[in-house]
Amino acid sequence: MNLYISRGDLTRWLDQLCRERILLAPVRVQELTLFQPVSKVEEITLDFGNTTLSPKGWFLPPTEALFSVQDNDGQSQLVSSIIEKDAVIFGLRPCDAKGIALMDGPFLREPSDTPYQERRARTSLIGLSCRQAQPECFCTSMGSAPNDSSHVDILLTEIENGYIAQVITKKGKALLPKALVKSEEALPSPPELQTVPVKEITLAVRELFNDPYWEQLADRCLHCNVCAYVCPTCYCFDMRDYSNKENLERVRSWDSCQSIGFSRIAGGYNPRTTKGARLRQRFAHKLLYFPEEFQQDIACVGCGRCIKSCPVNIDIRETMSDLKRLEVKGGS
Amino acid sequence: MDSELIQQIRNQARSLLESGEVKGIIGYERASDGLTARPFFAYEPAAVERLIFDETCTHNLTKYLLNKKTEKMAVVVKPCDSRTINLLLNEKQIRRDMVFVMGVACPGVVETSWNHKDGTLQARCKICQLVEPLVYDFLARHEAVERPQGEPYRDVQEMETKSVTERKDFWVEQFERCIRCYACRQVCPGCYCPECFVEQLDPLWVGIRIAPKENELWQIMRAFHLAGRCIGCDECEHVCPVNIPLSLLNHKLEKEVKELFDFQAGLNPEEQPPLTTFKKEERLGFEE
Amino acid sequence: MSSEYHPKIIGFLCNWCSYAGADMAGTSRMSYPSNIRIIRVPCSGRVDPILLIKCFQQGADGVLVSGCHPGDCHYNEGNYHARRKFALLCDFLDYVGIGKERLRIEWVSASEGQRFVDKVSNFTKEMAKLGPRSES
Repeated sequence: MNLYISRGDLTRWLDQLCRERILLAPVRVQELTLFQPVSKVEEITLDFGNTTLSPKGWFLPPTEALFSVQDNDGQSQLVSSIIEKDAVIFGLRPCDAKGIALMDGPFLREPSDTPYQERRARTSLIGLSCRQAQPECFCTSMGSAPNDSSHVDILLTEIENGYIAQVITKKGKALLPKALVKSEEALPSPPELQTVPVKEITLAVRELFNDPYWEQLADRCLHCNVCAYVCPTCYCFDMRDYSNKENLERVRSWDSCQSIGFSRIAGGYNPRTTKGARLRQRFAHKLLYFPEEFQQDIACVGCGRCIKSCPVNIDIRETMSDLKRLEVKGGS
Repeated sequence: MDSELIQQIRNQARSLLESGEVKGIIGYERASDGLTARPFFAYEPAAVERLIFDETCTHNLTKYLLNKKTEKMAVVVKPCDSRTINLLLNEKQIRRDMVFVMGVACPGVVETSWNHKDGTLQARCKICQLVEPLVYDFLARHEAVERPQGEPYRDVQEMETKSVTERKDFWVEQFERCIRCYACRQVCPGCYCPECFVEQLDPLWVGIRIAPKENELWQIMRAFHLAGRCIGCDECEHVCPVNIPLSLLNHKLEKEVKELFDFQAGLNPEEQPPLTTFKKEERLGFEE
Repeated sequence: MSSEYHPKIIGFLCNWCSYAGADMAGTSRMSYPSNIRIIRVPCSGRVDPILLIKCFQQGADGVLVSGCHPGDCHYNEGNYHARRKFALLCDFLDYVGIGKERLRIEWVSASEGQRFVDKVSNFTKEMAKLGPRSES
């Protein structure tokens, strides 16, 4: 069932949402567009291709206190982190929504990650389909599409005088304002995207695991972690306990396989000391280990953020083409 | 794009690879957007056809020398990058006989990001005093290079006119956005500690929490560890995914080092870095 | 400022001169404000800028570093290096909004008990006037 939402209706609806819940929406911050909690609808910008950082930061915050143990007059009290209100993410692109669905694999599989699970259960997703593709976009090759409604509660598509809302889930239905009319308008066709050869890439990565290609590609890699941090499906983290006299806190922060210390284990041994091994790890995880482990699509949604942000232009599309080409050739 | 300049670079690179004098060339090639440049490593003579040089060649390639210490490599350097060569020689991180410096008389680079090229010269180029690299084994030069006479440290001076509270609010806002990706550190040729202070667990200086206090500590100390060493390539600022104006921190220390100790990094591989030496008779404001 | 406000001062004193000077103030029964919490270091040159910034971040309102007079360093040169480091640091802290008047560098020798008392008393008074440093 499709509904029509005028621009005025949208503003009123969002205004209501930001009063009742935590509303995360794209906000312009110093030439960047970031998902941030807004207290006024005017803070929201819809003039963007995609946000600089993905919305995964809501479900897996850059830094999070998983729990703290507080000394309450000699009694220990476990305080777990919870969000104060239900949340809504508005303005989510279909690729990012798929990213969240992919992250559900590792985080919701039993035993599930409770902070993630709680945020996931209490957050509704209002997607915004893409009327234009950016040069770095390739979602259609990765199992998504500019108008893919699979992983959101409501999908909005902008039309000339407002939006068509596709209601996907019961959660989405409950979120919508009551007095909306049905829309008979046909949904506009999505933009055309470039295609990337990704068929059986999993096999190619396995075949070329020991190929010198990785060390060559890693020549220019700075191992700066930016690709992992902007990616909607990279989810590695580090965890440490911090304590002082009054309390102990278990803190979880983003980390990335690109850091040399990431794979160092007790005793000092490090299985990934070479640049090639570390660079390969990120691609191997996304293209091989993840789909095999979680029986899901490969862990790339084609958002192109890594391509935009990599200071030395390591381009996953190019890497996948290279791998396919090398596989045919039988190696470097 | 200056094809004469590029041809000079390619010819020299080819000859170095054919003779076997170097294992590889660290230069630039066209990026996947067809518009900007990216670092490129050529190991075969045929690969030199991919080498380019234009106004999008912003990267400081000398960082890669630190990964390639066991083999002789050639590296393409702009005048600013050549100061890093001097710095790394001074600090004994590279050996002069293990590097073939391919200098370029560079007219300046423009603001770039993926698939985006500005017409405006980068801030560092507007104040650059060097027409050609300070050290080179080969110089690629075509058109005469003119330097705009921008005022160095104008950005720092503007910041200094603000009050302490205004500056505090400014930096609090900037550091809040930091996600501690360490791209600034990874791209910087001056940051080469095998174990960075921020990764030390015992003593724990910063820790893993990504929060304003920790971010502030990280940024201040990184800038301070580069005091008297930073040559102002500003690559840290260019790679920052959240647009923190890191050059404002480094330029301030550059200015102070120049004013207090009359020293600029990377001009001479032999001179004493300012924080490793002292003058007994100097008065720095603490005496009475 | 209300007379209830007691600034928290952290003092890094070099073992051979300033710490001994503070000790002398004590044995001579001179009193000085007890706001200062003293940390003994072998030399003023040992004081890493990161320690000073962490002091401010953890709640110090003022930080004092005191070493031997230039020329008299027990390790010959430590305080010369410290002098250069702190010259850069004070200005830089001001630039990032921490404020240079909250960091004080002094030279106090082992026999200068009174000088130590004067320096600490003055610094404490000034910090009290400045008020608490809000957490950044």
